[in-house]
Amino acid sequence: MPRCYRLALALLTSVAPGPALGASPADDGASPGVADELTPEERAAIERALGADSEARGDAEVTPPTAQPVGFAAVLQNLNPNMSLILDAAVSYFSSAPLQVGAHDPNHTGFTFQQLEMHLDSNVDPFFRLDANLVFSPFGVEVEEAYATTLDLPAGLQLRAGQFLTRFGRVNNTHPHAWHFIDQPLVNGKFLGGEGSRGLGLEVSWLTPLPWYVELVASATDPAGAATARSFYGAEDLGISGLEDVLYTLAVKQFFSLDDDWSLLWGLSAQLGPNPTGNGNRSSLFGSDLHLRYRPLEHAGRTSVELTVEGMFRSRQVPDDALQDWGMYAQLVWQIDSEWEVGLRHDFVSGVADDYLDPDEDSARNRTAVEAAFYPSHFSRVRLQGAYDRPAWRDEPIWAVSLGLEVLIGAHGAHSY
Amino acid sequence: MFTTRLLAALALTAGLASPAAAKIEVVATLPDLAALAAEIGGDLVSVTALARPSEDPHYVDPKPSLLLPMSRADVLIFNGLELEIGWLPPLLVNARNGRIQPGGTGYLDASTLVQTKLQVPAGRIDRAQGDIHPGGNPHFTHDPRRAAEVALGIGARLAAVDPDHAATYRDNAQRIATELRRLAKQQAARFAALPAAKRQVVVYHDSWVYLADWLGLEQIATVEEKPGIKPSPGHVARVLSTMKQSGAGLILQEEYYPRNTSETLSKLAKGALAVLRGGVHFERGETYAEHTQEIADQLYDALTK
Repeated sequence: MPRCYRLALALLTSVAPGPALGASPADDGASPGVADELTPEERAAIERALGADSEARGDAEVTPPTAQPVGFAAVLQNLNPNMSLILDAAVSYFSSAPLQVGAHDPNHTGFTFQQLEMHLDSNVDPFFRLDANLVFSPFGVEVEEAYATTLDLPAGLQLRAGQFLTRFGRVNNTHPHAWHFIDQPLVNGKFLGGEGSRGLGLEVSWLTPLPWYVELVASATDPAGAATARSFYGAEDLGISGLEDVLYTLAVKQFFSLDDDWSLLWGLSAQLGPNPTGNGNRSSLFGSDLHLRYRPLEHAGRTSVELTVEGMFRSRQVPDDALQDWGMYAQLVWQIDSEWEVGLRHDFVSGVADDYLDPDEDSARNRTAVEAAFYPSHFSRVRLQGAYDRPAWRDEPIWAVSLGLEVLIGAHGAHSY
Repeated sequence: MFTTRLLAALALTAGLASPAAAKIEVVATLPDLAALAAEIGGDLVSVTALARPSEDPHYVDPKPSLLLPMSRADVLIFNGLELEIGWLPPLLVNARNGRIQPGGTGYLDASTLVQTKLQVPAGRIDRAQGDIHPGGNPHFTHDPRRAAEVALGIGARLAAVDPDHAATYRDNAQRIATELRRLAKQQAARFAALPAAKRQVVVYHDSWVYLADWLGLEQIATVEEKPGIKPSPGHVARVLSTMKQSGAGLILQEEYYPRNTSETLSKLAKGALAVLRGGVHFERGETYAEHTQEIADQLYDALTK
């Protein structure tokens, strides 16, 4: 009888499409060759014993030994998390009262301490990783993000839990030091909040097995926070009493390598949740973002040109009405070489009458900005930005100039695409 | 009884023989590492390189499409010594693949296979010294002797991941290591025959120390005063006078660095500029040995011109 099982096992092994199907040594600790030597009874016995041991020890599984870093690197690294500190400060001039929307934007004539951001990250164990972004400002310390990410869920799944920036659109999930411009796009500030859409919650994402990059993201977060969930409960925390009181974010991200030099990232996003204007009133946000990038691989030096366009539509139920507005920004950035970069951005947000969040802003606002950045090294940059801001409800436009400095110490931060 | 055993054996053989069935998926950050892995694994592996030889390995674009091979990989081979620190870590997390996470069976830091690293900082390091790497200079793939050590390590790791073919991986790795060591010796002897004055070089980025160590070249200056920081005019002037005094005639750089400064310098010093490919043309099927031979020839021609 056992022989028949062995035959079946051998047949199965021979048709299994490679290591992905549980035959991989990393998956179960036994190689296909070794597995053939075992009867199902033997395997079951081993699994029972391992299970009993785990329960007895209260731990999970033993990871195989790998080469350790040697010498000075090992001394430096220890088991400390990666740590870095980023300072953003600016000096600005505004021709009339500024209407900046981002919580870390330069927002008055004179000096602005934009932020001092501390980033910490490390793997927790073979299963989780922790990322924390603490932001120090003259008013105190803020836990901007602190979340755990799973490292090895099956089937291309990944969970994030804790406080995190939601993956609505392109710019929301990034920090100011990853931005080309010194301030937040208007539509992000007005629709998502000055700090960007974020909250305590849980996110699941799935890297689909399609032949091109398609990732599906869904998260459930707290709908309160004046600067973090502005179009939802915002400043009025009415609490969560059921599933309908949660803020849901859904997104699809797709990436296309057009050729070696050109690529395109396209995202579709939605946010659905409650607003505080009345019992059962809801808000919805829909967005699409496009990032077209040209980076010639055969070109000496680091040059690239990228166009980013992000648009959002918002609908909010209010007593006896529905407020509908939209906004977008488009930016073109040319990284000339490793030292110089120039960029152009246009912002637009529409306005509606009787907006309970922005009662003054009943008409549209356009803002055009140009920036030039100089990178003395990989860890510092100096930026000069000029903006021409035309809120239709104001008599005169706002001219603004900012000179910003950003410096980073500590662990070498990685760039995301 | 005998028949069942025979059937089982046949089934097993059929499974192993069909190439699509059991290929080990290897992802390597650099084309040099990919080329070594492909030669060691042969038909048993399928290898993807994340960077092209024309790309600066410090600044590879972390395209989301790179996640696809990483999410499937059984083995990830990377250079280490923080060469890929600016782009690999987020990809590694987003790949959602425990086999290639630190501690996984498929996580292979090639720098741990290299016995002797160069330019390992002795004291406290500081970013005011430029973008220096705390574990030592990371550009060891320019030296075939160190590539031989890496090849043996890759062979051992593939053998551990796929024990059924352990002997094949080990034999191939051994054969390649022997070939690379022979090549290294041959070229070192050829360069040693040059007069010492001819063996002086100036480099753009400090990425040729392992090659200089192998071929007995003397690196008398770097055009970048500090790694990763654009040279100042004052420093370039000093490099020029050093070149004139020493009689060094050759400037060496990878093709992904800007070359205006090097071109001007080589003209003013009446020397030559050798722009070498940063790595193996893996995507065109070139092997590591072929690439190394080509680099050595190119360099020898430039030095003897």
